[in-house]
Amino acid sequence: MSLRIDGLTIHIVGNSPVEDAELLLSALQRIPDATIDLSRATRLHSASVQLLRVLAPPTVGSPSDPFQATFVFPAVLNQ
Amino acid sequence: MDELLEQFLIEGRDLVADANAAFAALQGNPADAGAIDAAFRAVHTLKGSVGLFDMAPAERLLHATEDGLSLARKGETRLTDVDVAALVATIDQIDRWIDELERDGALGPDASDIAEGLSVANAMDGRAESAPDWITALIDRQQAAMRDSEMPLVAFRYVPDSDAFFRGEDPLALVATLPGIVALDILPAAGQWPALEAFEVFSCVMAIEGLSSATADTLRPFFRLVPDQFTLLSAPTDAADAAQGVAEPDVQAAAVLRVDARRVDALADTVGELVVAANALAVLAERADGIDPPLALGIRAAQADLERAVGAASRAVSAVRLVSLGPALRRLPRLVREIAVSLGKDIRFVMTGEQTEVDKQIADGLFEPLLHLVRNAIDHGIEDAADRTHVGKLPTGNLTLAIGREADDVVVTLADDGAGIDRDNIRTTAITRGLITAEASEALSDAGTLALIFAPGFSTAQAVSSVSGRGVGMDAVQAAIDRMRGRIEIDSVIGRGTRFTLRLPANAITTRLLVIDVANDRYAVPFDQIAETVRIGIDRLAPVGTGMACVLRDRTVPVLSLAEMLGGTDSGASPVKLLVTRASGDPVALRVDGFHERLDAMVRPPSGLLANMPLIGGTTTTGDGAVLLVLNMAEVVG
Repeated sequence: MSLRIDGLTIHIVGNSPVEDAELLLSALQRIPDATIDLSRATRLHSASVQLLRVLAPPTVGSPSDPFQATFVFPAVLNQ
Repeated sequence: MDELLEQFLIEGRDLVADANAAFAALQGNPADAGAIDAAFRAVHTLKGSVGLFDMAPAERLLHATEDGLSLARKGETRLTDVDVAALVATIDQIDRWIDELERDGALGPDASDIAEGLSVANAMDGRAESAPDWITALIDRQQAAMRDSEMPLVAFRYVPDSDAFFRGEDPLALVATLPGIVALDILPAAGQWPALEAFEVFSCVMAIEGLSSATADTLRPFFRLVPDQFTLLSAPTDAADAAQGVAEPDVQAAAVLRVDARRVDALADTVGELVVAANALAVLAERADGIDPPLALGIRAAQADLERAVGAASRAVSAVRLVSLGPALRRLPRLVREIAVSLGKDIRFVMTGEQTEVDKQIADGLFEPLLHLVRNAIDHGIEDAADRTHVGKLPTGNLTLAIGREADDVVVTLADDGAGIDRDNIRTTAITRGLITAEASEALSDAGTLALIFAPGFSTAQAVSSVSGRGVGMDAVQAAIDRMRGRIEIDSVIGRGTRFTLRLPANAITTRLLVIDVANDRYAVPFDQIAETVRIGIDRLAPVGTGMACVLRDRTVPVLSLAEMLGGTDSGASPVKLLVTRASGDPVALRVDGFHERLDAMVRPPSGLLANMPLIGGTTTTGDGAVLLVLNMAEVVG
C-alpha cells in the first residue's frame, strides 16, 4: 500500500496500485476534509483517478509520471 | 488522359485554391461576407465539376458544405472558428480526392466513410445532429489544443467496460502508451458521475477522451484487446486523412511542390548537357597533357569536382523524376477484365508492387508493352475453362503482375498459369515463316527458342483473334523494351504457365556508353547491352556455315562483322576485337576495330532520317561536341 495519512493530509506515495482505490475511499470517508497530496506519487491506477474525479477532494501536487502529470491530473483537477 | 478529366484536374485544383483563399480570410474574420461569398461560389462550382466524375462522396460532401455556406451567406447562421476548420478539412479532402482521381482514376474504397466522417464532424452540416455529442463537446473543450496543433488530429473515446478494474486492467496505462497525445479528458461514461452512495470503487464508470496527432491507423492497434470499447474519429481541423487512415507517407504537405513534369524534363535535359560538358573537360585535359602537363592536372582536378557536382545534380533530378508506377498501370486491372470477358475467359488478375518508383520515362513507356503481354497471356497463354478443367486446373486462370526493385533495375514479372509455350511449335512456326533455317533452329538454346516469339512476323496463334494474334505485337513489345534499354526474359513450362520478366533501368537519365571504332567511324554502345569485350587472335576465328564463329568460354559464339552490317568493310586486323552481346538472348560476338572511352551521356531518341534506321537506338553528344550514333544491339544481332 502506498497511502500515508498525516493529520488532514493523505499522501499517495510511489506507484499506487489498484487496491489503493479502496483504501483511499475509506480514508476519505473517515477524514472528509482531507487533502490529497500527490507530490510523492509516481503513478496512480485508473481506479484511484476515477475516485478522485468522483469525490473531487482537494489535492496538492501531481504524480511525477510525465503522462499523468501532463494529461491526467490537469484533466482531474480542472473539472 | 481523358481531356475532360485533364481539364477538371486543373480547374478543380484552382477552385480548391480559391476556396482555401476564402477560408484563410474567414479564419481571420468568420463574418467576412465577401469571403463567405467567394467560398460559396468555389464550393458550388466544385460540386458541379465533381458531378461529372465518379466522385459521389465528394459531391455529397460538397453539397453539405454548400448548404452550410448558403445559410451563412443569408445570415441565418454565423460561422465559428470550428466551422471554418471543418470547411478547411473538407476542401483538403476534396483536394486529396482530386489527386486520387488523377493517380488512381477513382476515389479510394473508403471515400464514403471519409465523407461521412467529415460531414458528421462538420458543424455546419445539416446532418450535424447525428454527430456523436462527445466529439462536438471534445472539440469545444479542446479548442486551444486543436488550434495549436500543426498536425491533423484524431479524436478518440475509450469507454472501458465496468469490470475493467476487476480484470486488472488499467485503462489510463493503456492510454499512456498512445503516441502523439495532445489532450486528454476523464469523464463520466454515463454523462455524470454516480452519487457517492451508488459509487462502486472498483466499477469502472469513466470514459477517456482525447486528441492525438498520430493517425487512426497508428492508434487502432493499441486498442486491439478492447476493440469494442473505443471510437476513433477525425477531429475536424485537418484531420480527415489521418482519422480515415488515408494519410500519405508525406505528412508535411506544405513541403510538397507540384511541378509540371515538362519542367522536370527540361531540368533533366540540362543536367544531361552538363554531363556532356563535364566530359568535355576530360578531352581537354588529354590535349593539354602534351602541351602543358600542370595545366592538364588542373583541368583534371576541376573535372573531378565538376563530375562530383554533376553526379549529385543528376541523382537529385533522377529522384525528382521517380514516380510510382501505380498511375501508369491503373487502367490495367479494368483492361484485364475487359479482355477476359471479350475472350470468354475467367481470369483472376493480381498486381503487386505497383507503387514501385521508377523514372518517369519508364513509367510512361511501360504500359503499352505490358498491355500487349497481358493480352497475349490471356489470349494465348491461359486456356479456356473447358481446357483447364480437362487438364485438372481450376477453371479460373491466374495472371499475376509483380513489380519490384533489384538494385538499379525495376523488375516487372508477368506470370500466367496457362498452357506454357511449346518450343517445338515455336521452331516449326519460325521455320515455316522463314524466320530461321531448320539448321539454325537445331542450334538454338531454350532461351533463344523462346526469344523467337519476339521476332517480327511471328505468331503461333492458330486462330487470329481480335485481341491479339495479328502477328504484329510481340516484336513491338521487344522494340518498346529495347527503347527503354530493358531486357525481356521468358520462362515457360508446358502445362504450368509462362513468365515474362522485364528488367528495366529504374533511373534513365544518363546511359553509360562504350565508344567503339567501326569502319573508320565512331559509334557508342550502351554498357548494359555489352556482355563482355574480348581480344582474340585471328586464328581463333573459324568459318561455320556461311559465317564465322569462335569459341568463348567453351561455347561456340557466332561472330558478325559490325563494319559490314553498317555498310563498311572489316580492317582484318589481328588480334580481333570482339564485343559480345546477349541482347537477343544468346551471346553473339561483333567484330569491331577498336574500343575507346566510357561515357556517361544522355541518349536522345533517334529522330528524322535516323528514326527509320532500326540499328540506331539514339544519338548522343560527346565531350568535344561531336554527335555519336548509339547502336541498338538487339536490332544489330536480331
